Amino acid sequence: MKVLKELVQELDRCVRCGTCRGVCPTFGVILREAASARGKVSLAKSYVDGDIALSRTFIRHISECVLCGACEEVCANDVPVPDIIIAARGEKVRSEGLPFTASAVMKGLNRPHTFMSLALRVASKFQPALFKKVPKESGMRRRFPVPLVDKDRLVPPLAGKFMLDTLKKSGKVERGVFVSRSRDSKVRVGFFAGCLTNYISPNIGIASIEVLNRVGADVFVPLKQVCCGMPALGMGDVKDAKSLALRNLDAFEGLDLDFITTSCATCGEALKRRFKDLLLDAGDPATGRRVEEYCGKVRDINALLVNELGIGDIIPAAAGDESRKVATYHDPCHLRRSQGIKEEPRELLEMAGLRIKEMNHPCRCCGLGGSFNLTHYGFSMEIGKKKAEDIDSTGAEIAATACPGCILQIKDGLHHVGSTVKVVHVIELLAGRLRGGEGMNSG
Amino acid sequence: MIMDRRDIEKLTSIVGRGNILTDKEERICYAYDATNQLHLPGAVLFPASATEISRIMTLANRQGFPVTPRGAGSGFTGGSLPVEGGVVVSLERMNRILEIDEENLLAVVEPGVVNGDLQMAVERLGLFYPPDPSSMKFCTIGGNIAECAGGPRAVKYGVTRDYVLGLEVVLPDGGIVDTGVATIKGVVGYDLTRLFVGSEGTLGIVTRATLKLLPLPEAFNTMMVTFKDVVDGAKAVSAIIRSGVVPTAVEIIDGVSIGCVKDGAATGIPDGVDAILLIELDGDRGSIDRDAASVKDLCLENNGLDIKIASSKKEVKALWRLRRALSPSLARIKPNKLNEDVVVPRSKIPDLLSGVRDVSEDKGLMIPCFGHAGDGNIHVNVMYDARDKGETERAWEAVKAVFELVVRLGGTISGEHGVGTAKAPYISMELKPPVINVMKDIKDLFDPKGILNPGKIFQCHRGGSDEGP
Ligand SMILES: Cc1cc2nc3c(=O)[nH]c(=O)nc-3n(C[C@H](O)[C@H](O)[C@H](O)COP(=O)(O)OP(=O)(O)OC[C@H]3O[C@@H](n4cnc5c(N)ncnc54)[C@H](O)[C@@H]3O)c2cc1C
Ligand code: SF4
Ligand code: SF4
Repeated sequence: MKVLKELVQELDRCVRCGTCRGVCPTFGVILREAASARGKVSLAKSYVDGDIALSRTFIRHISECVLCGACEEVCANDVPVPDIIIAARGEKVRSEGLPFTASAVMKGLNRPHTFMSLALRVASKFQPALFKKVPKESGMRRRFPVPLVDKDRLVPPLAGKFMLDTLKKSGKVERGVFVSRSRDSKVRVGFFAGCLTNYISPNIGIASIEVLNRVGADVFVPLKQVCCGMPALGMGDVKDAKSLALRNLDAFEGLDLDFITTSCATCGEALKRRFKDLLLDAGDPATGRRVEEYCGKVRDINALLVNELGIGDIIPAAAGDESRKVATYHDPCHLRRSQGIKEEPRELLEMAGLRIKEMNHPCRCCGLGGSFNLTHYGFSMEIGKKKAEDIDSTGAEIAATACPGCILQIKDGLHHVGSTVKVVHVIELLAGRLRGGEGMNSG
Repeated sequence: MIMDRRDIEKLTSIVGRGNILTDKEERICYAYDATNQLHLPGAVLFPASATEISRIMTLANRQGFPVTPRGAGSGFTGGSLPVEGGVVVSLERMNRILEIDEENLLAVVEPGVVNGDLQMAVERLGLFYPPDPSSMKFCTIGGNIAECAGGPRAVKYGVTRDYVLGLEVVLPDGGIVDTGVATIKGVVGYDLTRLFVGSEGTLGIVTRATLKLLPLPEAFNTMMVTFKDVVDGAKAVSAIIRSGVVPTAVEIIDGVSIGCVKDGAATGIPDGVDAILLIELDGDRGSIDRDAASVKDLCLENNGLDIKIASSKKEVKALWRLRRALSPSLARIKPNKLNEDVVVPRSKIPDLLSGVRDVSEDKGLMIPCFGHAGDGNIHVNVMYDARDKGETERAWEAVKAVFELVVRLGGTISGEHGVGTAKAPYISMELKPPVINVMKDIKDLFDPKGILNPGKIFQCHRGGSDEGP
C-alpha cells in the first residue's frame, strides 16, 4: 500500500478539469469543492507539497468520501482518487493513531469472529432496550432517541444467531472448518462470510452455501476467518488491515480450494485486490506467492455461479413471462467498479424468476461508504435518499443488490422516503427459487 | 492580497457564518480552474441571492477589494481565478431551476444550475436546451453565459448566446438590473443581454437567466467515420456542409488525440486511423434516414474507411463519452498544454489542420487537434513539459504561429473558451486598437474601480501587455 508521498505522480496527473464533480456523491450533497474528488486531490497535493499541515480542516475533507470510485471511473487521467484518500487518511492514523472507539473495534475485529461474537452477544442482551420495532418488513429497528443519534435512523438488529456460531454448532465441522458437501461434488469452494453477513444478515451466507451446494460445489467455511479489513483500510489503518489480511490467508490455507467466494461486494474487493496492495510490497516473496495464489482464486459469488459453475444450465432464466414480479437492481460500487461485475447478478435475478426494471443511475453509490455512514450520517443519508428515490420511482416490488452493506443502507434510505420496497440480496432470491418458494427469504 | 479582518466580518454578516470560507485549505479549493493554475483568494463566499451579491459588491466597491465570480471552475482560460486576490463569489448555492414554461418554451434558472441538470429537466418534458459544452455534466449555466459556451450542436443550433433572452445582473457598484425580454423578439434600447453574454464575469454577476428552449427533436442518429488522413476527414466535413445537410454536430478527432483515448479506454478503433468524424443528425425519422445516406456517401467519396452507426442509446453514449474524455486525457502526452480553441471558416479546416501539422513538425512538438469541425471551431493543443525551458519557449512560439495562421485564414483565436488570462496577451493579434479601446471604455463605464474580475481579457498576469508577446 503506497503512502501519500509515494503517490506524487498520481497526484500530478490531475489536471483540475472538474469532470469528477459531476459524479462525486459527497460533492453532490455537500456542494463544496473541498468535498469533491478534485478538491480532495488538490488538498492532498498541497499537503504533500508542505503547503498545508495535517490540519483538522484537511482531515475533515478527506473524511468526506465514500470511496465509491465514481471519480476514478470518469477521470480521463486515471487519477486513483480512492487510493489517494486512503493514503491521506493513513497520514492521520500514522501521526495520531485511531480514534479511541475505532481502535477498540479494530482490536476486536483482529481476533477470530468468536471473540467479537462474545462481545456483541453481551451487547445484544441489551438489544430490546436499545431498539424499538419499526415496520417488521424493513427488518430494521429504530433506535430510541439517543443523544447524537438521529432518531429516525434505522439501526440493524444483530442477528439472533451469528452465522459462524451457527455453523460451528452444526456438527459439520472438520478441523476448524465447516464443510457442506454437494450431492455431486465438482469443485471445492471456500466461503468468506464477512462481518455484516456474519453478525447481521446470516441469511445471505446460509443462502450462498445452499446455492453453491446445488450447483455442485463443496463449500468450506474456515471458522478462523476474520474481518476482511476494508473498514480498517477505509480509515487509513493499514497496519490492522495487513494483519487481518494475513490471518485470512492463514485461515483458508491447506484446503486445496478451487475458488474462494463471498457474497459481500466489499469483502470481494478486499480479497481480490486489496490483499495484494497490502501484502505484495511486504518484501517477503513467500507471502507474495501466497497472496497471489489466494487472490487468484477469489470470485464474487455472482460471477462464480454464472461464469465458472454454469448455473445457467441448471436453472435457465424464466424469460418472457410478463406476470413475473418486478425487481430493480442496485450496482454496489465495490462490485461494478472495483470488480467490473454488472451482468451476472442481473442474469441471476432472471433465473430467480424476476423481471428487471432498471432504475436511473443503478451504479450511483448508496452512500454507505463504510465508516462514512457512522461519521457523517446526515450526508450519508442525503446520498441514500437519492438512491431510494431512484429505486422507488421504478415501481418495482423488490430492490435487489449484491452487498449486505448496501442492503442496510438502502433499507434505511427507503424508510426515510417512506417506501415499502423490499430490499434483498440476489442470492437470497435465487435460493428462494431453488427451494421452490417465491424467491423471498428475508425477515 | 490579504483580506482586511473587518471586511471579512462584514462579508460574514452578509452571507451568514456558514457561507464564507477563510481557512487556507478551503481557499486552495477555490484557487484553480481547468487551466490548473493556482491563485489563492482571500475568502470564498457562497451568497444565496442577488441582494446578497449586491451588498457584497457595494462593500467591495467601497473598500476596493477584487471580486471574482465562479461557477464550477471548469473554465479553460482562467476566468474564475482570483489573480489579484480578494474574494471569490461562488454561485454554487444558487442552483435552482426556477421555472420551466412549457407553453412559451422558456426556462428561468439561477446561475449555479449545472448545464446537464437543466438538459435533463427539460428533456423530461419533451423540451430541448441545445448548448452542450463537453463539460455539461459539471459546468454551470452562469459560467456558460459568461464564456458564451458552445458545444458540438452549435453547427445546427448555435451557442449559448442564441438561447439567452434575458438576465438579472448585479453590477460592480451593487446595482441590480434586468436586461432583455421574455419573448423571442425585442429591440427596445441597446442589447445589453448580448453584451453580458461572453463578458467573462468582468461587467456584472449574472444572478438569473431566462433561456429559450426548443421542442426535443423526434430522433437522433449518431455515426462514427474513420479516415486514414486527417485532411480527408476535414474535406469530408466541408463536403457535408456544402451539400445542404445540416447535421446537429460534426466533431473531428485527429490521430494524436485518438492515441490518447485509445490508451485510456478500449475503444475498438483500429490502428492506422488518423482521423475520426463523429456526426450527429436529428429531426424526424424520415429526414434523418435520408440525411444519413447522403452523409455516408460524402464520407466515402472523401476516402472514409469505415462507418459505424450507433444502434442503441448506450452506443451513442459511448461514442460521446469518448469525445468528452479527449480534452483531459491529453495529459498522457505531456504534463502541460496550451489549449487553444480557434475558429476558421469551415471551408478552411483542411488548411488549418495541414498548417498546424507544419507548425508541429517545425517546433518538434505534439499538437493534437480535435473539436467542432462542423462550425470550424478546432481545439489545438500544444503539448509540452513546463520543466523543460526550451520546450516551453517553443510551445509559446507554436501558439503564436497557430494564431497567425488562424488570422490569416480569416478566423478568430477563441471560439468558446474566452480570453481570461490565458489569451489576454494575444487579443491584439485579432482586434484593432480602436476596438480594444471601445471595449476598455465599456469596462470602465461598468466598473470604474476595476474590482470585478480584474486581470482578465485585457491584461496578462504573465507580465505581458495588450500589445502582444
Ligand atoms: C473537459 C472540459 C471540456 C470543455 N468543453 C467545452 C466545450 O465543449 N465548449 C465550451 O464552450 N467550453 C468547454 N469547456 C470550458 C468550460 O467548461 C466552459 O467555459 C464553461 O462555460 C465554464 O463554466 P463554469 O461554471 O465552470 O465557469 P467557471 O470556470 O467557474 O467560470 C468561467 C467564467 O465565468 C465567470 N462566471 C461564472 N459564473 C458567473 C456568473 N454567474 N456571472 C458572471 N460571471 C460568471 C467566471 O468569472 C469566469 O470568468 C470545457 C472544459 C472542460 C474542463
Ligand atoms: S476528473 Fe481526474 S483529472 Fe479531472 S479533476 Fe477529477 S481527478 Fe483531476
Ligand atoms: S471515491 Fe466517490 S466519494 Fe470519494 S472522491 Fe471519488 S467520487 Fe467522491
